[in-house]
Amino acid sequence: MKMDNSNQWHCTSQNEPRGYIQPQSLDELWFHAGTNCNLRCPFCLEGSKPGDNRIEFLTLTDARRFMDEALEFGVKKFSFTGGEPFVNPEFIQILDYALELRPCLVLTNATEPLMNQIGDVLPLLDRPNSLNFRVSLDHPDPVKHDESRGRGNFRKALATLGRLYREGFGVSIARLMLSGEDSATVDCAYTPYFESAGVPLDLTIIKFPDFHLPGSLPQVAEITETCMTRYLSAEQRDKFMCNFSKMIVRKNGQCGVYACTLVDDVENYDLGKTLHEAMEKRVLLGHHRCYSCFAGGASCSEG
Amino acid sequence: MNTLTVRNVIFRTDELFELQLERGDVQFEPGACVALFSNSTESRPYSIAAGTGEEILRFLIRRVSNGIVSNWLAQRKPGDKVSASAPFGWFRPGRAVAGTRSVFIATGTGIAPFLSYLRSNPQRLPELCLYGVRRQTEAFNLEELQQIDNFRLALSQEEVNGHFHGRITGLLEQIPFADDIHYYLCGLDTMIDETSIWLENHGVAYTQIHREIFFYEDGQL
Repeated sequence: MKMDNSNQWHCTSQNEPRGYIQPQSLDELWFHAGTNCNLRCPFCLEGSKPGDNRIEFLTLTDARRFMDEALEFGVKKFSFTGGEPFVNPEFIQILDYALELRPCLVLTNATEPLMNQIGDVLPLLDRPNSLNFRVSLDHPDPVKHDESRGRGNFRKALATLGRLYREGFGVSIARLMLSGEDSATVDCAYTPYFESAGVPLDLTIIKFPDFHLPGSLPQVAEITETCMTRYLSAEQRDKFMCNFSKMIVRKNGQCGVYACTLVDDVENYDLGKTLHEAMEKRVLLGHHRCYSCFAGGASCSEG
Repeated sequence: MNTLTVRNVIFRTDELFELQLERGDVQFEPGACVALFSNSTESRPYSIAAGTGEEILRFLIRRVSNGIVSNWLAQRKPGDKVSASAPFGWFRPGRAVAGTRSVFIATGTGIAPFLSYLRSNPQRLPELCLYGVRRQTEAFNLEELQQIDNFRLALSQEEVNGHFHGRITGLLEQIPFADDIHYYLCGLDTMIDETSIWLENHGVAYTQIHREIFFYEDGQL
């Protein structure tokens, strides 16, 4: 347990009590499959790349342990992120186990690691719970998408999105949110691509602001207790991911329970080695990415 | 992270070389990659060309102009140390489903995962192996590959007796079709895309096409 109990962590630089969330439930449990990825995107909020081991591959043994424990809290869904989850050699077995228990969501770049294993993924359609894929299509302009992700990857991801949908899986996409954008216009720009892929034109689009690289310290406003009550309603506070979810992260050969999917680069957010331990911990909103949730309501969750 | 010792660096041309590292206790499957690091924090993934029973790890590397890692590796001497990630990968030649057969198609250093497979599974040869390079001097381990019954070399920029003159896609008509055959493509992006489309147009299920891009037509990667 690495929780920093110092006054510096509990208070802001102006010595005001730091804003926090007291978790109420465990509706969704996220798993980090590992920061190893087939791509090397310069903006990656996880710093993932081929061979990267900052966050190690999740193992089937660890995943089973936390899934079984999460059932005790009435978990409704398991979600997986990376890296590219399909680079993890045990990932399909992990999914197979998870789908016996609860519906699952997988975030993927939908390129070679998934394309090469899609024959092993199709039998998962027969499991008792549904499997949804969220495919990264950063921009509605293939050239801009490929500038970061490598040439041809927009086309491959779009083709895989269509194949997954036609086979019967649920699909959505994730994109980058540009500062000052007209979000409705940007969303509409995907329409011709959705049409060519044969997916619904009103497909769910999850938008992410710039979360900055792991370990970076961008200047953002600090969140105080007063901010949380003055600017947000109880309903808005309930929508913070750290109120209803946790993420399992494997580092240095063992798993920790982190407060959310975006703060795994700060040890203060390692809340313990079990969900029981972590669920009792108050989540202090001291990470620069917490400000994105505070200011924009960013969420990796899909309702 | 592993620290491995250089056994040898063997140049095939000014641009292409085989890097041999002492294996240590590294375990891998054919098709696995390893991220090799330069003396900075930069790394690039390279596919292992050695068989699983060999004492060394072999990597087939093309020096990329301004490539930080490939140029640093090219200057290593026997005894030097190289940092390497654990093996990983999503391209597994010949592993699809027990009892299935394989066709291998490679360009350039994309032959590496297939060499690893052939050296590891000499009893389970592919139905066909197509290999494309610009000139014969660029073909790695040609004598070894020619031991396979159905091996064909395509030379795009040179005419040599006994080998096909032209792009490797000129040999696609020789590819056999059957429900139990999986097709493994590795190397240049344009070859992989063109061949994937050709296979699907000939009725091959996309679940039986496996791909690994090593480099791009315009020199990226």
